[in-house]
Amino acid sequence: MSVVDQRPGRPAATRSSRGGSRGGSVGGAWRLRRGLAPWAFVAPAAVFFTLFLLLPIGYAVHLSLRGYRVQGGGAFGRREEAFVGLENYTAALTDPEFAAGLGRVLLYGMISVPTVLGFALLFALLLDTPAVRARSFSRTAIFMPYAVPGVIASLLWGFMYLPSTSPMNYLATRLGAGPLDFFSTPFLYFSMANIALWSGVGFNMIIIYTSLRAIPTEIYEAARIDGADERQIALRIKIPLVAPALVLTGLFSIIGTFQLYSEPATLRPLTNTISSTWVPLMKIYQEAFDNDNLGGAAAASVILAVGTLVLSSLILRFFQRTTFGGDR
Amino acid sequence: MDLEPSSSQAPTGTTRTASGKVRGTTSRRSFLTAASLGAGGALALSACGSSGESSSAAGDGPVELAFWTYTLKSADPAAQAILDRYHELNPDVTVKLSEVGGTAETSSKLLAADRADSAPDVVQVEYRALPSLVVAGVVKDLTDDVADARSGAEPNVWSLCTLDERVYGVPQDIGPMMFTYRRDLFDQYGVAVPTTWAEYAAAAEQVHAADPSVYIASFAPTQFEFFAAHAAQAGAQWWSNDGEAWTVDLTSEESLATADFWEDLVRRDLVRVEPLLTPEWNAQVNAGKILSWAAAAWAPSVIYSVAPDTAGKWEAAPLPQWTPGDAAVPFLGGSTYLVPEKSKNAAAATAFATWLATSEEGSKLLLTLDIYPGGNGGREATLNSEPPRLMPQQTDFYRIADQVIDDTTIDVTWGPNVNVAQTAFGDALNEAALNKSSFRDVYAAAEQAITADLEKSGFTVSS
Repeated sequence: MSVVDQRPGRPAATRSSRGGSRGGSVGGAWRLRRGLAPWAFVAPAAVFFTLFLLLPIGYAVHLSLRGYRVQGGGAFGRREEAFVGLENYTAALTDPEFAAGLGRVLLYGMISVPTVLGFALLFALLLDTPAVRARSFSRTAIFMPYAVPGVIASLLWGFMYLPSTSPMNYLATRLGAGPLDFFSTPFLYFSMANIALWSGVGFNMIIIYTSLRAIPTEIYEAARIDGADERQIALRIKIPLVAPALVLTGLFSIIGTFQLYSEPATLRPLTNTISSTWVPLMKIYQEAFDNDNLGGAAAASVILAVGTLVLSSLILRFFQRTTFGGDR
Repeated sequence: MDLEPSSSQAPTGTTRTASGKVRGTTSRRSFLTAASLGAGGALALSACGSSGESSSAAGDGPVELAFWTYTLKSADPAAQAILDRYHELNPDVTVKLSEVGGTAETSSKLLAADRADSAPDVVQVEYRALPSLVVAGVVKDLTDDVADARSGAEPNVWSLCTLDERVYGVPQDIGPMMFTYRRDLFDQYGVAVPTTWAEYAAAAEQVHAADPSVYIASFAPTQFEFFAAHAAQAGAQWWSNDGEAWTVDLTSEESLATADFWEDLVRRDLVRVEPLLTPEWNAQVNAGKILSWAAAAWAPSVIYSVAPDTAGKWEAAPLPQWTPGDAAVPFLGGSTYLVPEKSKNAAAATAFATWLATSEEGSKLLLTLDIYPGGNGGREATLNSEPPRLMPQQTDFYRIADQVIDDTTIDVTWGPNVNVAQTAFGDALNEAALNKSSFRDVYAAAEQAITADLEKSGFTVSS
């Protein structure tokens, strides 16, 4: 938004400050061209922003106020689009399944976000220690799963979790631990978080690692002269300095958590512990495509988007004050 | 339930030596054949007429029909042969196949295409999805167009695509309900084929007692249509209407008796709570840990596709009954071809769909796709074709199926919100099965959800 909001202000300021010095010597044509140029530069971004962001958002809001209602009587009367007011919003907000889905996502996020970030930070710090061997190989190896699409990763892990096809289960049974049920209710969240861990650690690690490499090495030298060991350097210097990167990855992870869809949707056919509305996005998909209730889906999407926006701006505001130390 | 056979098999037309009993059936069939041949001739004429009309409307050019189907696959030579044959009969009509997924995907895509004014010409969906598409206004009323083709299929088959006495599709394939089971293991555990659901429960107990890792069947809560059929067999009607108002009744005593039946089996751990066709289910079926599947005549080809090594060990029998001696069942599964309201080649599309589904030749060709054709021609041809690959030794398979179709006298009315009902019901039943809580509550909650949704959409619901 800021891109569009701020730029129109600038040309006006430029014109008034410079236009005076050039005066009437150049004339009106120049002035006009000078005035148009910034708009021309902004135009492509503004057009695309309007076409692919503002319009769809507006359309979604429009849809969320509409629904298919039977016009005329009869057991097989035809459903036609009509304005239904805020009915879709009240339906979504009072839907116990939508709320339960949010609850599941929160529970999943409480497991997945800290572990993903924790491991990402740990690996980044390990890779950054001077004594590390095979650095670029390890970095690539840890990053590799990120290149596997979420659906494939879920299928892959799904087979590892299914009792009859799971090698873990085979080993456990051989060792006398009995069959493991990775899909039973409390474990399901961990099984699901494990997929996120496997595929998400690499990406987050790269961001944190890049941020670590940007720290000037003189700081470490100074710390070593003061007698700090690698562990102390990591805890006292590196982590505080990469805090902005941690906030960034954390925010991405939280937003990603609310958008959890492909993992549960892919695992669903494999088990009966995942309902068809297990997470909010699955509920939205179901409303839109199974139940032919585009209005309801649009309303739920708007609620989810606004909720995510509010939550991330709250988090950002909180961390901006503490980590970035009043950067603004 | 997208369990329709996906593999293709070119059935060998080996003629069996007919016993006296078969010959009796055959002579009745021959009469039907003669009747449908006559209809086929009339149809061919009307097809020419209508495609002529549509091509003149399109400027006398050739017509290309967009056909959304999951049974005819472009890579399948048998499907291609069908299209080639139709092109031979109607040189100005070309049919283009698109595989857009199962019934749920097809329905939502059709709705989107309709709203975008780019509808295809012929669309295959399962029968239960028809009402929701009809009330969405995307399906063309074919009543008058198919009037001449009526003799191509039995009335109980036509009723699958008929709502409110209007015909909205032609029947591609049907699912006569049958019980497919492991003959060898039933013998090994000393269990007789159940003819009643009480015997089924007893058999479930017997096999599980003999080996605790073995179950008579899996209990798949998401198989909404099966539970509806099961309740209908017991005498319940989940949806019904008097032409104006809907009645939703999942809580009649007959319906709740079926809920109790499954709850009891689940509570006693006599059926394995497991969705169908998961890698897990497939592994269990291959390992002989799941012994049967109460479904329809299409089940063998589905099982064959996941457990080809078990072929020869299975057999099929009529579905168990609630009352000993009864034979009545509803259909389960099967699909129809509909013509979208916004199809630009509606006349040619109707002619093609009618030819494929209900003409003698088209219906026989459908049998080459390893499905049970809805038309009489194909049904007749099943009697001379080899049994499904899963049970090559069961030479009377199609004779049993044919008898089941005659016994299919229970009409199931699907409401206009089956799509909403099946997910709500499936999720709730799943949870109840896992928590071993009351199934009656699930049926009651589903009834409420279905009623609330009908009311929200603006239908009249009488209580």
